[in-house]
Amino acid sequence: MSSVEVAEQQAPSLIGSSVPRKEDDRLLQGDGRFTDDVEPARSLHMAVGRCPFPHARIESIEAAEAAAMPGVHQVLTGVEVEARTEPISVLRPVPGAADLPFYALASEVCVFEGQPVVSVVAESRQLAEDAVEAIWIDYEPLAHVSDPIAALAPEAPVLHPERMDSNLLASNPQGRGEPEKRLAEAVVVVEDSFRIGRVSPLPMEPRAVVAEWRPGARELIAHVSTQVPHLVRMQLAESLRLGESEVRVVTGDVGGGFGLKLGLYPEDLLACLHAIELRRPVKWTEDRVEHFRASTHAREAVHDFRIAADAEGRFLAMTDTYVTDLGGQNSPFGSAQLSSIVFTGPYRVEDATVERRVAVTNKTPIGAYRGYGQPEVNFARELLVDRLARRLGRDPLELRLQNMLSEEELPWKNAVGALYDSGDYGRCLRMVAERIDYGGLRAAGRGPRPDGRYVGVGFTSFVERTGYASARFLANRGSRFGAHESVTLRANRSGGIDLYTGVSTFGQSNETAFAQICAEVHGIDYAAVRVHAGDTGATPLNTGAFASRTLIAGSGAVREAAAALRAKTLRIAAARLELEPDALEIAGDVVRCREQPQRAIGLAEIHVAAITGQGIPGDEEPGLEVTAHFEPSAAAFAYGSAAAVVAVDAETGEFEIERFVMAHDSGRIVNPRAVEGQVRGALAQGFGAALSEELRYEEDSGQLLNGTMLDYFVPTASDLPPIELLHTEVPSPVTPFGVRGVGETGTIPPGASIANAVCDALAEFGVEISSLPITPERVWRALREASNGGEGLEG
Amino acid sequence: MKPAPFEYVRPSSVAEAVATLEAHGGMARVLAGGQSLVPMLGMRLMRPSAVVDINGLDAELGQIEARGAETTIGALVRYSEAEASPVIAERLPLLRTAIRYIGDRQVRNRGTLCGAVAQSDPTGEVALVALTLGATVVAQGPGGVRELAADGFFVGSYANALAPEEMITGLRFGVVPARGAFFERGRKHNDFALLSLAVAATPEPDGSWRDVRVGMGGINDTPVLARAAAARLEGQRWDEAALAEAAQLALEDADPPEDVRASAEYRAHLLPIHLRRLLLSLVEEPRHG
Repeated sequence: MSSVEVAEQQAPSLIGSSVPRKEDDRLLQGDGRFTDDVEPARSLHMAVGRCPFPHARIESIEAAEAAAMPGVHQVLTGVEVEARTEPISVLRPVPGAADLPFYALASEVCVFEGQPVVSVVAESRQLAEDAVEAIWIDYEPLAHVSDPIAALAPEAPVLHPERMDSNLLASNPQGRGEPEKRLAEAVVVVEDSFRIGRVSPLPMEPRAVVAEWRPGARELIAHVSTQVPHLVRMQLAESLRLGESEVRVVTGDVGGGFGLKLGLYPEDLLACLHAIELRRPVKWTEDRVEHFRASTHAREAVHDFRIAADAEGRFLAMTDTYVTDLGGQNSPFGSAQLSSIVFTGPYRVEDATVERRVAVTNKTPIGAYRGYGQPEVNFARELLVDRLARRLGRDPLELRLQNMLSEEELPWKNAVGALYDSGDYGRCLRMVAERIDYGGLRAAGRGPRPDGRYVGVGFTSFVERTGYASARFLANRGSRFGAHESVTLRANRSGGIDLYTGVSTFGQSNETAFAQICAEVHGIDYAAVRVHAGDTGATPLNTGAFASRTLIAGSGAVREAAAALRAKTLRIAAARLELEPDALEIAGDVVRCREQPQRAIGLAEIHVAAITGQGIPGDEEPGLEVTAHFEPSAAAFAYGSAAAVVAVDAETGEFEIERFVMAHDSGRIVNPRAVEGQVRGALAQGFGAALSEELRYEEDSGQLLNGTMLDYFVPTASDLPPIELLHTEVPSPVTPFGVRGVGETGTIPPGASIANAVCDALAEFGVEISSLPITPERVWRALREASNGGEGLEG
Repeated sequence: MKPAPFEYVRPSSVAEAVATLEAHGGMARVLAGGQSLVPMLGMRLMRPSAVVDINGLDAELGQIEARGAETTIGALVRYSEAEASPVIAERLPLLRTAIRYIGDRQVRNRGTLCGAVAQSDPTGEVALVALTLGATVVAQGPGGVRELAADGFFVGSYANALAPEEMITGLRFGVVPARGAFFERGRKHNDFALLSLAVAATPEPDGSWRDVRVGMGGINDTPVLARAAAARLEGQRWDEAALAEAAQLALEDADPPEDVRASAEYRAHLLPIHLRRLLLSLVEEPRHG
């Protein structure tokens, strides 16, 4: 507590101050309460039997022996689940896509390895797993397709023949102008096909659910580890054929979401169904082996990108036709939808078109993941910018600056109609170039150094959409949520404020930021604001935390609620102090006269007066509680640039990232330390996807080759390069306080900057990189192909 | 990820442990540090009828003994203990270096060297060093104590010459060459090796080298000795040509696997490059790795 007060004294404005996080005291003392910490009396445990094949028909299920095992309470199969529930709904459908309904358990055909087929509830998880093993399921393996490009070939098996006549779920063209004409006229055209690997968002806490049903009360309480408790409540009610008032979703601390926990999963629904039918609490915590197959994957895409330029290096046109992999069926958010929005990046391009093609394959469904398409398209575009520079004999830094939108050109509507609100894009790029001493590095040359290694520098620049454009934008895409956020503030009799939000807490510092804004606007001490998050029984109906939207929308709701609460507090205090409200201020725990601070009244006293209705003005309603809803006027575009310096061993392809510098603008920063944590955390995931993480499938069997922590190479702190962060703070005109989203930024630049640095280091060999992750083996293959006189496209 | 049912036995002596292993007809498994066994139980990749927990046998199995020229590491000695042991630092510095490549601190606090030898992971660091330095595996079974040379002990991926009713009680090293060096490359920090190398040799006053030993991990279904490479270097001065030839000869004893860490081709490409560099470090660096 004392450190909080010190911080407040040092910083007159709470916004912009690195006050200690609200979340940390409990988390650091081991007092966090995660879903697995919840275990009601008489709890039973669920285990799920999963399809071991990528594509198979279920011929028969023999469950009698398992159901009769001691300690086993219930076995469910797909036929029963289909009869008793509705399909799981999609929250953000792919525009133009066929409806592909799916149930929590497959009953006829499985479309991915790990798809739930049976669920068992027993006295313990051990017994439940024993029973799953005792269920005999006869599968007829069907022809499968793993690769999204192969899935779109005419000879590929059609995975949903009852709904689709190919595996192309949807195709979404967007853009403006006549890029084909510009391409034909251009002096230079660079183009390539870029392959982005499939990764797992891999939150430290896997998914978890504890379901309790009180039949007499007709109340289902579902403790779910999720980013969107109110949306899960809606989905549970729909699928279980309950009224929403019969469902309460409670989300405590969440050990990471990253987009993976964005809606209802089959296991959530199954635990609830068992709990209702057994009238006993049912618990399921995902284990890591399940997680790698049953929780959504991310990123996998192939971008065919082209850039046309004139002799002076001016960008004339860009096109991007890309395929994203959906996996076997929908997930609540499906495959990434933001590549199209930002495909032209921070550059001045009038003629540009993009087409997103969504392919169905026999793999785990793809879902949202920090960045949601933005790291992928950034990789493709920024590698081509460097290739264009090499073709034209231009410096890649200069070429970027030449084509970058200037501060004066903003706001700018890009080719797909997204509005870049404000900013100084060039400044971030110049800052990173200066910080890494680009001039000095170029003067020192590319080597080789005495140790034999070649040195390269790589840049990347990006814009990042944060938040949603509007409820109308979402409605046009069939999304089942709004662009706003909602917050309730309730004064309490201790003189504090309870803040209620449906935004659950999964590491994004929302409790801290909301309390900072509340205290700043209202005047109360930061320490006296308590944030209650994630219980749908206690918090206002909201959208949830994703798309870097929490602060963009939520800060407005907090601001409006805090201002209204403050106004009423001042009116009540004014009557009691016999002063005008305008003469008063709230300072910590008192309301006082600005001119004569000794004329003061305790905040607790005002709160009690309002809550009891005793001693308030006659025209004032009792109570001191406000709910506010806020929708920002537009999405805010964050932006930034990064530079990497690498040293490459041309004999082995092994390389070291010696420096990584990033400058970004997230608009006005509420809590600098929290922002730095967000950026570094996202960078770690960006480096993972850039350097080592990749889910690999065996071609013949179609099975996941590396679904354990032994073989999936997620970086540890020891694997990360040194990171240097720079910030600028240009306020956005479209959001409260000028904030821009920041949670996803760091995932964007690592891949492109490192690839460009490696290609720069090995420029004399003509090495080009076209896929992620950039492993030493891939660099070695690229070197070998370049020296063999090939096009330098590694496998 | 919960184990299938098994009987849990905590014996009070090695003899009782061996008797339990015998009673289960080879279907029981010994639990020492559990760093490999417990995950395999959880994933039901292993379904022993009993788990014989030897953690109560510290008096019999917990020692590092230096006797004459020999150093014996008991079956309950943790990696961290060996890492911190002055005896190991003085007598087996190559082993000490290699231990730092094993897992992370938590794994090293719990895992045991003999457990790693029993696990016989083809990428295991302890197995590689034991093979390279010509260690002896001491095992006890119903028929008594058996001594098995590390060279020949590893018979396949996760397979060794131990009988199912036997347990390892110690790992014994003799006199080792004067210099040693260790190399490992994984896909991330403390990952399983896609390539690991251990080299040891003693320089002679005339500039030649004797007792040359070259071990390779991650390059075959067991750790293997690069015999042709070592023979090329034995008794020779190590000029650039000798090192380059020896590095190429190492491929004769390699049959690299193909997996998510690396292709066979890439492993074969890396092997001579890193072996040559490691041997060079032995020449340049007067002390152990």
